[in-house]
Amino acid sequence: MRIDPNVCIACEACVPYCPVGAIKMKDVAEIDQEMCVDCGVCRNSKVCPVDCIIFEVQPYPRDLRVTFSNPRTGHKATGIAGRGTEEMKTNDVTGRFKRGMVGLGLEFGRPGVSTTFRDLEKMSMALAKHGVEFEDKNPVTFLMVDKKTGKLKDEVLDQRVLSAIIECVLPIGKLKDVLATMKEVSKQIDTVFSVDCICKAEPDGSYPVKKILAEAGITPYINGKQNVGLGRPLAKEDK
Amino acid sequence: MTHSLHRRGTKENLARDYVLLCLPAVGINDKDHDPKLAEFLRICMKYNPLNIGAIQLGNMYSHKTEDVIKAAHGIVHAVFNSPKTVTAVLNDLKKADLGMSIVVSGIFENVDQALAEAGLKHHTANFSLGIWGKTEKLPSNEILEVTTMCGHALVAANLVKEMVKEVKAGRKTALDAGKLLAAQCACGIFNPERAAELITAMAKK
Repeated sequence: MRIDPNVCIACEACVPYCPVGAIKMKDVAEIDQEMCVDCGVCRNSKVCPVDCIIFEVQPYPRDLRVTFSNPRTGHKATGIAGRGTEEMKTNDVTGRFKRGMVGLGLEFGRPGVSTTFRDLEKMSMALAKHGVEFEDKNPVTFLMVDKKTGKLKDEVLDQRVLSAIIECVLPIGKLKDVLATMKEVSKQIDTVFSVDCICKAEPDGSYPVKKILAEAGITPYINGKQNVGLGRPLAKEDK
Repeated sequence: MTHSLHRRGTKENLARDYVLLCLPAVGINDKDHDPKLAEFLRICMKYNPLNIGAIQLGNMYSHKTEDVIKAAHGIVHAVFNSPKTVTAVLNDLKKADLGMSIVVSGIFENVDQALAEAGLKHHTANFSLGIWGKTEKLPSNEILEVTTMCGHALVAANLVKEMVKEVKAGRKTALDAGKLLAAQCACGIFNPERAAELITAMAKK
C-alpha cells in the first residue's frame, strides 16, 4: 500500500486504521514499506476523503504480503482464502484429524503484531526435528524448501505478513516434547504467536489432549471451536 | 484459518459471544455449495444475528445483508449473543440437512449445553493455548478483548483507542463505535454489541 503524496491532505484519518501502525505523519501521511503488510484495511475502510490510498500488485516475493494478510485474497496454491486451511472445521467430512493424533496451529504474528518468515522458520525447523507432519495444503508449507527440515525459501525470509500459520499433525504421545520445544523457541523470536490445539473427541465425548496439556502446565482458554458433526458424507472413521 | 479462535475475554463477557461457521470440504462436498451457504445465512437471519459475513465480500456492516447472502461462497459466518439462540439455529440447521460442516465457537461449557439441547455432540475441538513469544509487543488486555474478535487482526488496536476517545467525548455512541469496528472485519465474525460493552467500560475510566 502507498499514499499518493500529491493528493493526500494530511487529515490523519487513515492513521488509526492500520493494524500494524505503519502509517506515519510527515508533511503528509506516509506508509512505512517495511512495516506495511498490504492487508488493505486502510484502503478498504474508505476512510480517506480524497481516495489517495493506492494498492499496486507486487512481484514475488513481496506479493506474499497481500496473500497472507488480506483474507479476501485466495492463495493460488491452496485455493483457500486467508492464511490457513479448513483444519478441524471440516473434520467430520475429511477425517484429517484422527483419534490418537493431535493438530497444532502456530499463528505467527497473531494477534496484530505481524511477523517475518525468518521468525517463523526458527519454529518450523525446530518442529521438523520432532518429525511432525506439516499440512500439505497450508500456504506456509508451500514456502518450504524441504518439509523434512522445515526450511523456507531464502527469498521469502524477510517478507513481513500480518500472520502466517504453521500447521502440523503429530501423534498425541509426542505433544509434551513438542510443547517444550515451542516454549524454548518462543524466547528466540521477535514476535508473538497464537497456539491452536486440535483433537477429535473420543466416543464418550472426552478429549485426551486435555490431560497432556495439564501435565505440561498449560490451561486452554475457556472458549474455543467445536465442529458439531453435521457435515456429510461423514469421514471413514465415523461411518 | 482459525479466525474465530483466540477471542479473549472473561467468562462474563464471552457468555454473550458465539460464532457459527458453515463451509464445505474442498474436493469432497463443495460442488454447488453456494446455495447451501446462502440457506445457512437465511436461517441465521431468522434469529437476529449480531453479524453475518461472506469472506469474499464482507459483512452486514460493510454491505447490505441481501448482498452478503448473494455472495455466499467458500465459508460464511454468523454471530449470536446467547446459547439459546445457538440451539434454535442448530435445530433449524439439522432440519435443513445442508450437509455442510458447522462449527460453533464460544465458551465450551455453554456450547456443549447448546449442542445437547439440539441433540448434537461435539465432534472435534480446537483449543486455544494462548499467545506465546514476545507478548510485551501486545496492546493491553482490554484492547485485545475487542481486537481479537477479528481473527485476521484487521481491527487495529489504535482504532479501538480512537473509538474509546470518541465515545468518551460523546461524539459517538458505543454501539456505533462497535459497528464501525465491525465493518473492518472481512468475515463478519466481529461482535459489535460485545465491542460496545467493552468500549463503554473503557470510556468510563
